[in-house]
Amino acid sequence: MATESSEGEEEGKAIGGNQHLVVDDDLREMAKKAAWSVSSCKTGNGVQFLRDDNLDTYWQSDGAQPHLVNIQFQKKVKLQLVVLYVDFKLDESYTPSKISIRAGDGFHNLKEIKTVELVKPIGWVYVSLSGADPREAFLNTFMLQIAVLSNHLNGRDTHVRQIKVYGPRPNPIPHQPFQFTSREFITYSCVR
Amino acid sequence: METLLIDCVQSSLRHFMLRNAIFLCERLCADFPSELNSQLLAICYLHNNQAYCAYHILKGTQMAQSRYLFAISCVQMDLLTEAEAALCPTEPNAEVPNGAAGHYLLGLIYRYTDRRKSAVDHFKRALSMDPLLWAAYEELCVLGAAEEANGVFSEAAALCIWQQLLNPGSNTPNLQITNEDHVVVLNKTLGSEEMSPRQLKSMQGNIFRDTPGNHVAVFSGGPSSQPSSGGSSNISLYGTPSPMPAQLYGVAPPPLCRNVQPNLNILGGESSPKSKINTTLQGSRRKLLDEGKLRKKFCLSSAYFGLSQVSGRLFSDSEPRRSTRLAGEAANTNSNSLQVGTNGSGHSSTRYFGGLSSSSKLISAAIRSGTFCKGQPSASESFDEGRRSESFDDSRLDNTATTSSSASLFADDGSLERERTGQQMGGVLAHGSRVSSGILELLDLLRTLGEGYRLSCMYRCQDALDIYMKLSHKQYNTGWVLSQVGKAYFEMVDYLEADQAFTLARQASPYSFEGMDIYSTVLFHLKEEMKLSYLAQELISTDRLAPQSWCAMGNCYSLQKDHETALKNFQRAVQLNSKFAYAHTLCGHEHVALEDFENGIKSYQSALRINPRHYNSWYGLGMIYLRQEKFEFAEHHFRRAFQINPCSSVIMCYLGTALHALKKSEEALNMMDKAIIADKKNPLPMYQKANILVSLEKFDEALKVLEALKEYAPQESSVYALMGKIYKQWNIYEKAMLHFGLALDLKPSATDVATIKLAIEKLHVPDEMVDNL
Repeated sequence: MATESSEGEEEGKAIGGNQHLVVDDDLREMAKKAAWSVSSCKTGNGVQFLRDDNLDTYWQSDGAQPHLVNIQFQKKVKLQLVVLYVDFKLDESYTPSKISIRAGDGFHNLKEIKTVELVKPIGWVYVSLSGADPREAFLNTFMLQIAVLSNHLNGRDTHVRQIKVYGPRPNPIPHQPFQFTSREFITYSCVR
Repeated sequence: METLLIDCVQSSLRHFMLRNAIFLCERLCADFPSELNSQLLAICYLHNNQAYCAYHILKGTQMAQSRYLFAISCVQMDLLTEAEAALCPTEPNAEVPNGAAGHYLLGLIYRYTDRRKSAVDHFKRALSMDPLLWAAYEELCVLGAAEEANGVFSEAAALCIWQQLLNPGSNTPNLQITNEDHVVVLNKTLGSEEMSPRQLKSMQGNIFRDTPGNHVAVFSGGPSSQPSSGGSSNISLYGTPSPMPAQLYGVAPPPLCRNVQPNLNILGGESSPKSKINTTLQGSRRKLLDEGKLRKKFCLSSAYFGLSQVSGRLFSDSEPRRSTRLAGEAANTNSNSLQVGTNGSGHSSTRYFGGLSSSSKLISAAIRSGTFCKGQPSASESFDEGRRSESFDDSRLDNTATTSSSASLFADDGSLERERTGQQMGGVLAHGSRVSSGILELLDLLRTLGEGYRLSCMYRCQDALDIYMKLSHKQYNTGWVLSQVGKAYFEMVDYLEADQAFTLARQASPYSFEGMDIYSTVLFHLKEEMKLSYLAQELISTDRLAPQSWCAMGNCYSLQKDHETALKNFQRAVQLNSKFAYAHTLCGHEHVALEDFENGIKSYQSALRINPRHYNSWYGLGMIYLRQEKFEFAEHHFRRAFQINPCSSVIMCYLGTALHALKKSEEALNMMDKAIIADKKNPLPMYQKANILVSLEKFDEALKVLEALKEYAPQESSVYALMGKIYKQWNIYEKAMLHFGLALDLKPSATDVATIKLAIEKLHVPDEMVDNL
């Protein structure tokens, strides 16, 4: 199971980073069809490096804080987890230290959901979007914004190497109230 | 030099020394440019997988064999219109080159260009010409147009093959043998005078029923070209007679047999023992068959159908027509086909001579007897009382009034030494019976296999399995049969048995790819990751260019939920063979898993374009429309899938779901009941039935169904969740809580956990304030 950051609190505790990206099977990456944009970037280190599955390339911001990464979906989606890859050893003062996650329908009504503080992270950092309430297991939203509020050693600009956003898998069988768990049901549930 | 080069080329081809063959053939064509040599060069190229070379060489040629080879190269290069143009006869009376093979190829072309009716027609014709053309029968099954295997691989077919065997072929050495074969067979039947005439008839009829004019034509051709001389000169002509007439005569009641015997000899002597039924014979066979069909009017009883035909042939005046046809055909068919010899117009004699020398004795006797026979129509008539030979004799009589030289030939000969023929017949018949029993055995085998295949194409899987069980152990334990068995179990959703069958198949023939894509799907359903990846690796290392290996690989990735890589693999399979429908379907499944419905629809439709009976694609389309809430489309597609495969409980279940979504709940419930009956092991229809009942607010019945379902699948969380929902509806909170708790214990997915927990929280909230779960 993915290592989770603090649950349901406004101020997240500091977390280290994970070497490997391990995500539950019932989660899947949601942001392939989303529109990604950033508040600013240096030439040669644009937004595409956030999504290129390459941990050597990174996005570098080039402006005033907070630095923003905006993810806009075509329809309301259920989101559960955000994972970032940052590396203090390589990036030092460019490594983000305080991150805020906001969600909403658009730029006009973003609301902060979570804040996380990082201390010298090296690797994948998991930020869960669920609330404590079972009712809030998922975040239903059109847009997600990841704001880098401050960096380590008071750096101005930031490096982020990769960002992934996860949500639940849809029910493979449409029009079913519940998903099937047992093997007998799953075997008979589809024709391949 | 020309013949020397030709021999070298052919021997290189036989030894698969293709570069050598191509080189020598090119020298041959340079020095002696002729169409036959071009054909040979094209054959070399085709063997070397260079269809484009063959294409360019044969473009525009007119000879039948050239057109056939050209069509083959076009099909390999996917130029279907040109292939079709080459194969289709330009004049109204012309025939398709190479008979059964030509029809088969034409059928394939029509199938790939979506002209199902014409395709079916051609496959049927191919089968009637060559009953052992299994591939044509397979295609018919896949197209859903196969008749009973009994009908196709019947005794009529045996007759047909018999004739073909006796047809003049290029192998002279065999000539003698087949003659003997025939004689032997006949002798056997003739000898047993105790046999009732009917028995005799039917037996002979069995073997010789469908004697198309082949033999007769051959026969007549001989006599006609050699007026009344009898003796060695005739012998040469009779090199390729069809033994049919003689044998048919032999079938006649005992008294008639004597008369027949002479004929038999003639025919026996004349038939060139062509042991293999191949395309070379097909041309003339076809022609003769057509002529045979014309004679149908003479036939009064099926057993004697062939007889009448033969007799008609034997004595008819159709020679001119036949001979012209034969002449035309002779020009077209391979030079090695001795059918040329059957050319009534006598062109054949030269060709004949080469092959006939060995059978001179027999032939002379045969000729004599033939003449005798022919000259005694009245005698045979007298034997007809109460026999079915009436028709036979009538037709014979009719035909005897022919102006053909054969008649004169026979009449002239008159004297028949029965003793001589009797002796000769004895030897020949013994061999012939072996051949005929071989034919019957083969047809028996093909009948079983054909019936099994046809039933499994109609998705009557249990019946198909029963039929396959009838095969001998040796045949059953082959890769092909075991794969078919595996496929049948797969269609019945019995994945464990299918797994077993496929494992055996892999042991029996580890290099075979037939059905391996289905095997990988079986393993996918069983969630056997290890086995599946092992299978995929093995297949890929055996043959990287087979679409089945990539399908297996794709299934492997799909099992691990890596749908993008799976999609790439399936697309590779499609690239390797765009006519492989299942690869398209699997692509469609992956697109749907990636929620890319547009491309999913496209993939499914490509699959359906290739094979409209691929019910998986219909199902896939139905699922997409179900997801998109286009319920009418969904219902239509599920119904199509159901029509193709009426035994699948899964499809019935989904059809019911679609019907329910269309508010046709009565029908939906009926469908669910049908599905429950169809497959006791499938828990889904019961669950869906409960769902429908819940939405119809028939909670009691729903609960009953769910209680029963609990027995079937005790580990299924959604069952408890649904029951909890019902109890919640009735405000029986304790039970609701209990069931929700049970549902949660069974570890449902995250979404469901959330839903259930939410439901629990709201348990104690008054209903008005609760959102419907």
